[in-house]
Amino acid sequence: MTAAIRKMIPMKSFTAFIAAASVFAAAAHAQTVAIMNGQVHTVSGGVIEEGDVIIRDGRIAQVGADLSAPAGATVIDASGKVVTPGLFSPISSIGLVEIGAVADSNDATPAPQSPTDDFPLGASLNAIDAYNPSSSLIPVNRAGGVTRALMAPNPGTSIFGGRAAVIDLSGRANSVTRAEAAQYVAMGQQGSDRSGGTRMGAWAQLRDYLDEARSYHANPNDYIRRPHGRFAVSDLKALGPVIDGEQPLIVSVNSANDIRTLIRLKNTYRLNVIIHGGSEAWRVAEELASANIPVITDALYNLPGEFEDIDATLQNAARLNEAGVKISFYDGAHNIRLIRQHAGNAVAEGLPFDAGLAAITLNPATMYGLGDQLGSLEAGKIADVVVWDGDPLEVTTRPEAVFINGRRQDLNNRQKMLMERYRDLERGDLPFAYRGGESD
Amino acid sequence: MRKTGWTALAVLMLSACAQQEGGESEEAQVEKAAPAETETAAATDENEEDVDGPVRPPSDPYPSTYEPYPGETVLLTGATVLTGDGERIDDGAVLIADGKIASVGAAGEVEAPEGARTVDAGGKWITPGIIDIHSHLGDYPSPSNDSTSDGNEIVSPNTAYVWAEHSVWPQDAGFTRALAGGITSLQILPGSANLFGGRSAILKNVPSRSVQGMKFPGAPYGLKMACGENPKRVYGDRGGPDTRMGNFAGYRSAWIEAAAYKKKWEDYWEDYDSWVDNDDDDKGDAPEAPTRDLKLETLAGALNGDIKVNMHCYRADEMVQVLDMADEFGYDVTTFHHAIEAYKIADVLAENNVCAAMWADWWGFKLEAFDTVGENVPLVHAQPGGCAIVHSDDALGIQRLNQEAAKAMADGRRIGIEIEPEDAIAWITSNPAKAMGVLDRTGTLEEGKMADVVVWNGNPFSVYAKAEKVYIDGALMYDRSDPSRSPRVDFELGLHDNDYTGGAGQ
Repeated sequence: MTAAIRKMIPMKSFTAFIAAASVFAAAAHAQTVAIMNGQVHTVSGGVIEEGDVIIRDGRIAQVGADLSAPAGATVIDASGKVVTPGLFSPISSIGLVEIGAVADSNDATPAPQSPTDDFPLGASLNAIDAYNPSSSLIPVNRAGGVTRALMAPNPGTSIFGGRAAVIDLSGRANSVTRAEAAQYVAMGQQGSDRSGGTRMGAWAQLRDYLDEARSYHANPNDYIRRPHGRFAVSDLKALGPVIDGEQPLIVSVNSANDIRTLIRLKNTYRLNVIIHGGSEAWRVAEELASANIPVITDALYNLPGEFEDIDATLQNAARLNEAGVKISFYDGAHNIRLIRQHAGNAVAEGLPFDAGLAAITLNPATMYGLGDQLGSLEAGKIADVVVWDGDPLEVTTRPEAVFINGRRQDLNNRQKMLMERYRDLERGDLPFAYRGGESD
Repeated sequence: MRKTGWTALAVLMLSACAQQEGGESEEAQVEKAAPAETETAAATDENEEDVDGPVRPPSDPYPSTYEPYPGETVLLTGATVLTGDGERIDDGAVLIADGKIASVGAAGEVEAPEGARTVDAGGKWITPGIIDIHSHLGDYPSPSNDSTSDGNEIVSPNTAYVWAEHSVWPQDAGFTRALAGGITSLQILPGSANLFGGRSAILKNVPSRSVQGMKFPGAPYGLKMACGENPKRVYGDRGGPDTRMGNFAGYRSAWIEAAAYKKKWEDYWEDYDSWVDNDDDDKGDAPEAPTRDLKLETLAGALNGDIKVNMHCYRADEMVQVLDMADEFGYDVTTFHHAIEAYKIADVLAENNVCAAMWADWWGFKLEAFDTVGENVPLVHAQPGGCAIVHSDDALGIQRLNQEAAKAMADGRRIGIEIEPEDAIAWITSNPAKAMGVLDRTGTLEEGKMADVVVWNGNPFSVYAKAEKVYIDGALMYDRSDPSRSPRVDFELGLHDNDYTGGAGQ
């Protein structure tokens, strides 16, 4: 990988990204792989019952039926298997956290170190600064078929979490697909908790930030010379692409009321908005569709857990999709591999299967402006491909082969290693701590 | 019989409850209306010869008032039946009558008695009602806020004196959602901040105005204990324990105290008997009873086996230490909960006849949860005599324990462990029933057991499977196609567009 891609291309430089992406492909050791005779779910162009996917130089070269494997290609017989794009987790703190409760391994959430020490910065925090591609979460979730993920910091004291990045799950040092792919802000109850205890406070604070950011970006030099408001300049600076409508602003909201307010805000400020949470989003599905606001939801959430979730239902995703809202699913950080269980459950509640698969592949790619590069099996796209031993939304199915940027991935991880060490509990010639290293 | 002692008290408790379970007689109705009197009457009965008798702590002061709801005689036929005890019957039939499993067998062989309704269950799967051994529903209900958070008495490392049932809010909508996931019985445990968290409550998943109306008749109590990180984190700066060795010192000191307390009462009963048997005219007043201590009463109950010990314990090495401690004080650990590292000591657990309750794939939220493997449940299962349980500890997870079991089964098969659906269903039915002490009543589809039955629209080990009908004691409590068989709790009622029914999620 060249220095060009390591610079992490912010969203603004879209052309630069395309250039970098082709560099990527060239670097993928010119591997040619032919995945033959699988049930191929292209996501963008239907299902090919006995289809082939040819991968060359990190890209998908061809998708179709009755293709012939190029000379010298590594051939994978996918008969009886299912081939899909790699899964794309639309939001989590993967890459920023190792052990949730161990502070020195958790960079996902700024937390006060003492009652008087509220860390003030938010929007300016940048996930790639803390990104740990060697995290154990990455191989575990890669073995679950996840190839891309948005890595997002969580809000601490500030309503803003900071700038999130799209990464691939190769675990390589240069695995950032797009730095500064989105900004995160907590509204709803979370926002209220950080804004004097009311939703009015949360929305007023967000508008204040956006106004100040506009003011800053209109003339940065002038802004920093005159007395300015209560916000850190670094945060306002980071909000530039948000107020330009270029960088998606992921907004955590759940109640139908908050969502209506969000739609008004989006229209006033012309923002590119994505909802995270959205437990009551189905109640405003038509409005969301008109406003072109995607919703990243927890497909398993159906409790009135807080007063903003009174109408939470398992049918949320199906109803949103029916109304034309683009949807996706999230699950924690350690188990982003479970987004396909969310999709499967949503399908069991009426979401069409194809929409369920798109929700965890093409939709997130599109949300972050990567829909022309990732998320479906189409010639020319980056070759993130998974071969499954069955229905990819089924809980009993597992990946057999995973490709990221055209490279076949190692599916081993510390969980598998632990299992191997302890699957046979017979006493051996040496203690368990020696096991696994034997040559046989 | 005068020497009742602790063990006899347990029998007394069971018999008192069995009377209620008898159900529909007028007598039972009266008992239900006046549970306190029932208790007194039974106690008097046991102590006929000396009306006053020695003082005994009440064994069941908050007795179950649950009574099965009416159900029809129904023959479900043509389904794939998983009995819960390892059997699979393709094209099988289950006959439910009088709230009990009346018969189970091949479709042609189970006959419908006169008046029975026959339901074609072709293509469906039938399993025992699903049981969650680890839930906090009602104690941490929806909505979740300071007003409702009643699951963890974080005031002292030893709160063995609290009883989870006194926190259970029967209006938790979580119960209704769990019902739609096939849950028919569940154990509500206090939280895990404390070394000794308190007593559990075992409930039938039937809505009621009071928790007594949900309590599983005759189920033993459980004691919640916790290993590892939680107690030392919570109490590290509040006087301890601050370390794992502090945790163990805390448990052991408490057991020593409990053993002394138990002996004090046993001595008192013995002295009382001697006093009664003493024909001396000037034998003086009856011996004075010890003062009751709620904390030690629960711990003494655990020591004598009336109360089942449920130990939250992630790490293998800690579980092995706990087993030695149980030997030291002569009690049994029934189940290790959240046993992330059970696979490392699956042989030891099986030898000691201890169950492990596990998640399929949760990990990494704290260091003691770092060593999760997807094969944990199957590896415990594969040990001869192993007892694997899949639990939730979660108001969402409890709604799909079948999927959690399916994931574990799938991972086990991939490493060559032969597990069929008829085996894996035990992880969420008969094994938790056994560990909770209710296997003689529920947990399998056996003649004479409570008709706690789930009809699924397909193989329950699939993400697409839905519970279509859930019977509890033979009463149809949930029907996916009929919102009127779907309870709506008071909290939700009239909020937004919520109507009287459909609360389980239709």
